Amino acid sequence: MVNMIRGGRSYVSSPPAFSNDAKRLLVCTANTVSIFSTSTALQTSSLEGHTAPVTTVIVVPASSPASNILCYCWTASLDGTIRYWDFSVPELLKTINIKIPIYSMVIPYLLGNEKQPYLFAYVSLKVTREIDSKKHNSGQICKCNLTESRLVGGMTLAETKVPEPITISSSGKYLGITKHQRLSIWKVPDTETERITLKKITLHHTKRMTVHAFHPIQRIVAAGDSTGRILIWRGFGDKTFTSDEGLVSGKIPSNDEEKPGVRDNDDADSCTTWHWHSSEVNVLFFSSDGAYLYSGGKEGVLVVWQLDTGKKKFLPRIGSPLLCYTVSPDTSLSSISCADNQIHLLKMPSLEILKSISGIKFSCSLPEEYESFGSGVAFDHSSALVALRTDNYCVQFYSLFDDLGISEVQVCERNHQPGDDVTVVVTLVALSQDGSIMSTVEVKLAEEGIGGLICLKFWASESQNKKFTLSTIIYEPHRDARISAVAFHPTRRVAVSSSYGGDFKVWVCNDELEQKDVMLQSSGWTCHAVGSYKKKAITAAAFSADGSILAVAAETVITLWDPDKNVLLAVIGETLTPIVTLSFVGKSEFLVAASWGSKPQLSVWTMSKLSVSWSYMLHVEAIACAADLSSFVALALLPELSKCQESIGTNFQGKDGVILLFNATDPVPVATWSARKAKGGALAFLQVNPSSIEDNISDGKLPQALLAYMNGDHEYVLFDPYCEEIHELNVIPQKDLVVPEERRQFGYASIYGELPEFELKRNQTLWVPSVPSEKPWETIFSGSSHNLPPLTKLCSAFLESLLEKRTAAVE
Amino acid sequence: MGSSSIRDILTSFSPSLDYFAICSGDARIKIWDVLKGQIQTEFADIASTETTSLFTSKPERGHISVDYTCMKWLSLDRKKKRKLGSSLLVLGTGSGDVLALDVSAGQLKWRISDCHPGGVSAISIATHGSCVYSAGADGMVCEIDPLTGNLIGKFRASTKGISCMAVSSDGKVLATAAGQMKTFNCSDHKKIQKFSGHPGAVRFMMFTEDGKYILSSAVGERYIALWRTDGDKKQSASCVLAMEHPAVFIDGRCIDNEEVDEAGLYVFAISETGVCYFWHGRNIEELRSTKATKISLSSENNKSKNQKSVLPAIFAAKLQGIAKPASVHAFIAFGLLVKPSFQKLVVQSGTDITLSSSQDGVLLPMSQSLVKSKKGLHGPTRVTALDRANAEDALLPLPKILDVHGKKNRHQNSGDLDVVMADLADSKSQDDTVEVEADSEAVCMEDRLRSLGMLCNKDDLTSKAALNSTKFNGVDLDANLPEKKIRAAVSSMTPSNASELLEVLVDMWQSRSYSGKQVLPWIYKILVIHGHHFQSQKSLTGMLSSLFKITKSREVAFQPLLQLSGRLQLIMAQIDKASQDKTQISSYDHKMDESEDEDEDVEEHVYGEIDDESQLSSDDDS
Repeated sequence: MVNMIRGGRSYVSSPPAFSNDAKRLLVCTANTVSIFSTSTALQTSSLEGHTAPVTTVIVVPASSPASNILCYCWTASLDGTIRYWDFSVPELLKTINIKIPIYSMVIPYLLGNEKQPYLFAYVSLKVTREIDSKKHNSGQICKCNLTESRLVGGMTLAETKVPEPITISSSGKYLGITKHQRLSIWKVPDTETERITLKKITLHHTKRMTVHAFHPIQRIVAAGDSTGRILIWRGFGDKTFTSDEGLVSGKIPSNDEEKPGVRDNDDADSCTTWHWHSSEVNVLFFSSDGAYLYSGGKEGVLVVWQLDTGKKKFLPRIGSPLLCYTVSPDTSLSSISCADNQIHLLKMPSLEILKSISGIKFSCSLPEEYESFGSGVAFDHSSALVALRTDNYCVQFYSLFDDLGISEVQVCERNHQPGDDVTVVVTLVALSQDGSIMSTVEVKLAEEGIGGLICLKFWASESQNKKFTLSTIIYEPHRDARISAVAFHPTRRVAVSSSYGGDFKVWVCNDELEQKDVMLQSSGWTCHAVGSYKKKAITAAAFSADGSILAVAAETVITLWDPDKNVLLAVIGETLTPIVTLSFVGKSEFLVAASWGSKPQLSVWTMSKLSVSWSYMLHVEAIACAADLSSFVALALLPELSKCQESIGTNFQGKDGVILLFNATDPVPVATWSARKAKGGALAFLQVNPSSIEDNISDGKLPQALLAYMNGDHEYVLFDPYCEEIHELNVIPQKDLVVPEERRQFGYASIYGELPEFELKRNQTLWVPSVPSEKPWETIFSGSSHNLPPLTKLCSAFLESLLEKRTAAVE
Repeated sequence: MGSSSIRDILTSFSPSLDYFAICSGDARIKIWDVLKGQIQTEFADIASTETTSLFTSKPERGHISVDYTCMKWLSLDRKKKRKLGSSLLVLGTGSGDVLALDVSAGQLKWRISDCHPGGVSAISIATHGSCVYSAGADGMVCEIDPLTGNLIGKFRASTKGISCMAVSSDGKVLATAAGQMKTFNCSDHKKIQKFSGHPGAVRFMMFTEDGKYILSSAVGERYIALWRTDGDKKQSASCVLAMEHPAVFIDGRCIDNEEVDEAGLYVFAISETGVCYFWHGRNIEELRSTKATKISLSSENNKSKNQKSVLPAIFAAKLQGIAKPASVHAFIAFGLLVKPSFQKLVVQSGTDITLSSSQDGVLLPMSQSLVKSKKGLHGPTRVTALDRANAEDALLPLPKILDVHGKKNRHQNSGDLDVVMADLADSKSQDDTVEVEADSEAVCMEDRLRSLGMLCNKDDLTSKAALNSTKFNGVDLDANLPEKKIRAAVSSMTPSNASELLEVLVDMWQSRSYSGKQVLPWIYKILVIHGHHFQSQKSLTGMLSSLFKITKSREVAFQPLLQLSGRLQLIMAQIDKASQDKTQISSYDHKMDESEDEDEDVEEHVYGEIDDESQLSSDDDS
């Protein structure tokens, strides 16, 4: 049995935390907290126990330099628990279950030095309420007694539409949240009891505020808004917060003129605005001495503001939008988390990147029209690598077994600036079966209809080190039409690209072509053959397992071709909506097709009868077929309908997809697993390499194949789909037959109702052979009928063709 | 050997083969990420920062230079090999210290100072054991707890300095070498065996995984010795494997089970010059006689030999597993020290492998860089670019979907259609050829008619007849002779000649090498003039009856053909009209219908040609 292998986690979903000696960095990685060494950027251990993504990690600060080695931390998670760990061992010490998903947590009293009888935390919760039998989600800021492990009843500080992150000043005196255009600040009482009321002020702005930060010493708060402005309020809460401290503030309640920039009679002395960022500010942080303010946003530039003068210093070319900034107790080290799943460790005064902790790249955002089937993810089945498109025009190779990025290939030679408009997108990535050839498709977006360009590129790599070099670049391979799919021949250096423009092309590598030719010069790819079917858009293409048949989907029909001779062998009739993917099921006689649209369908076609064998009305996101088995898996998105249904709803806590394992002969799935974030997910069968997984095998038995499931966030899991035990002890995938029974019946019956129709069609369209033309008159009749030349021309040519041989016989 | 020697380099793979530690004598330990091929960390002065006092007492060394003598990577936790946090890099120094680095945390885990006065010479870790053994120049062997760095035990293995040491993978037997090799029981430190044969200091020694053999090589000896551990107290080498240069590294596997295909001994070694050797034998005898398989780096890089630079070499190898009999998976690190490359290889006994080393990341002197850049141009960096026009010309012509033929074919093949379709999944090439043949037949109507027996195959007869016909005086079919001349020519013939001519003419008419227009007047005249003669001749009745049949069949076809010609004329007229209008009102369905029509036309048009002839003949007949 093979243990589940997980990976591809996000390192940047929540702010990380430094340990007290700054030698370790605690990073929230999905359900675990990973601990990295800051000197080598390698993972040393992890805290495992939460059952949902961890949202907050707080290291208990050392009260004295001697206790620097103490390694305790609090974590909060969406599973509704707060846990207390000793992360040096690592060991779970305490679990507090409050049963409501926690989005954010702060513990003010950890920061103060005074001993408190109780330890209170402020948590931002996602509360679900039923109003009129509909579920309403809202955010709440509550107080939690950590010592007695319970929420403090009746102490709701604020309600928000969505759960907002709470920030805390480094002295632990103030809490703040941003609510759209308002910034709410509470003062944490010096000695806290359960029922004490917190004093609150609200600061207003005209734009939506995205982030805020407190000055470590003075009463200054800075906030960033969605337009890129940074507002700095000085002396906030002079009236409200100081009065009970017994200090007589020298100021008389003042009018607007004395409070420059402050709106609506807010409780602050002054408000100044800085503007450098062009889009929303995501990162805002004061340096520990309070002299500098760090800000960052979508541009990927860290700006250091001198607080008194407003002078700026920059750390440009980080390459990706910034998400959060964390300082360490050791002032010479800090970290920035970037949107490309990297955490950079910075050497502080000089802003120099020392090390980077990098994870899997997230799926890049594509314009709607370029959404292709699957998620632009290609798997190298033999070496268990996955090739992913990244935002900076690269393809990242990520090792699934090692959970490690291996290399990046820059697809197009241009610089990526995170703030720029997208002008080029890499739409497709395909890998050959042995992983030695890669093909990419990039689209240069047209500006006002001009300048669009499509490139098909073939890359070759020597050996297994995945250092791909460009072999061939083809501009506009299908004229202006976009490419719908690229598929590789399983054994030879042959590829097929299909386009929405109505044709497909078979490409061969010159190596393949001129094997005997000694004067071989370059190993470029050339077009071997062009084919089309009734000028219909070609939406998918696939080679059979032995490479002898090429299946090409022309919208709703599947055409079978001989890839060598480019001869149409057969046409299989028809799905309801255009097919988006095709796949041969191993070496069996079955072909799986998935179509999207208003009537999505997963259909299995048998090649012996050239008819549909069975089908489901399911929106299938991905299909994977095992190379030598007669089974396949499909990742189906659950219809919206069933998500709302209360009866099933309980089973789908945030799960929107199912993985179905089928035997091609049998419409009843062999096994099912439910999955999160299935939209944009991908599936693949991986060949099992004994040396790579030996440490994950518990009973020494090698599985036939491993199934890899990667969800829309590129988080993945590898498991043995044929292993019974996994079905029971699984964590994400759960064994629950999720396909509603009646819907299945419907899909099944509806297809069988149509069967006679398919039979009919078969008689009409079967056996449409074609030959490469050798004689001129033959081409006249080819192609779709509406493109035929006028009959006057046709007739004479046709008659000529009949007469030709006879006249030749006459001397 | 000089600069190309890899004697002084310390290398070690991490247990899970994802990192590679290399130390090249300058006390700098570089950790390479094997998968990425990038440097991960560098440990420069761990030892000196923590214990400066110790090194200040050694004036002959630089203040940051530590003389590392041996290096081993060990994993603490068997279950979590992937987690690097549980692996340590254990190093021995020339000053007698043993230290352990926690590689992932990047810090010193523990250190034992002056463990072996005079220098640590070897560190060994049992794969399944839980302790580290170190041996030194003082002849002692120390047992160390890898977690804490505490000294567990110590015993004297030799009176002289130990040069090498190995522990069996089960951790029960320890072998030391100081010229003479000895094995010890690990638990009671009792001597088990003594092996003599190495005159010099043993440089490398290892147990096979099952503990049955020890492989060893000594300084300056150009061979590897193989020793059995289960034999007598005193033994000499049971097998010697020769090499061209002394070995610095050995790895071996032994699978004793005779039933398994993979059974045998697999030995892997790296020589001082950075060449890898591989031997395989099903047993000791076979191994003895086997020839080494070599893995070397390509020689083209040797141009730089005259330069005073380091040659690329293979530094380290690890036998990963046995792929199939006589071949193994090996993981090797090769190239230049500044930028090693890593590769998994399948080494088959008997086939030498030459690897090409890349010069990536190497700062080359001016002269070399020129050569390199030239090479780069000819290398695989050449990119083929195809623009829109080039992308168009396919090597194969466009496939044309000929519905007409398709239908014919279907008609023909309808009987065995299902058989063909069943075969389709396998797509036998046979299928294709059959189909292509069928198509080419279908192209020519005449061939099809001939194959159906509607046309006579006697082409030779016709040609002969044509030749003969020229012999007959006055019989010129091509010349459109007036009726009188025909009559004169025919009447001048003898009846026997006339009957021969008639036979030829009937054949010609039937085979349609001449049209009825030309042939029929002659037949008519012959029949009129020599009719009585033919009636008397029995031999000619067959020919006459066939003539009668042809005439009859053409007469029957006459009426429908007339109708068809009418229809065709109508269609032609419509088409003419349509083309004059220049409007393409060709809806899809309409076209489909027409294609059906055309299909019929094909069949009928064949007769349409004969139309005129039969018209003639019937005219004549009447």
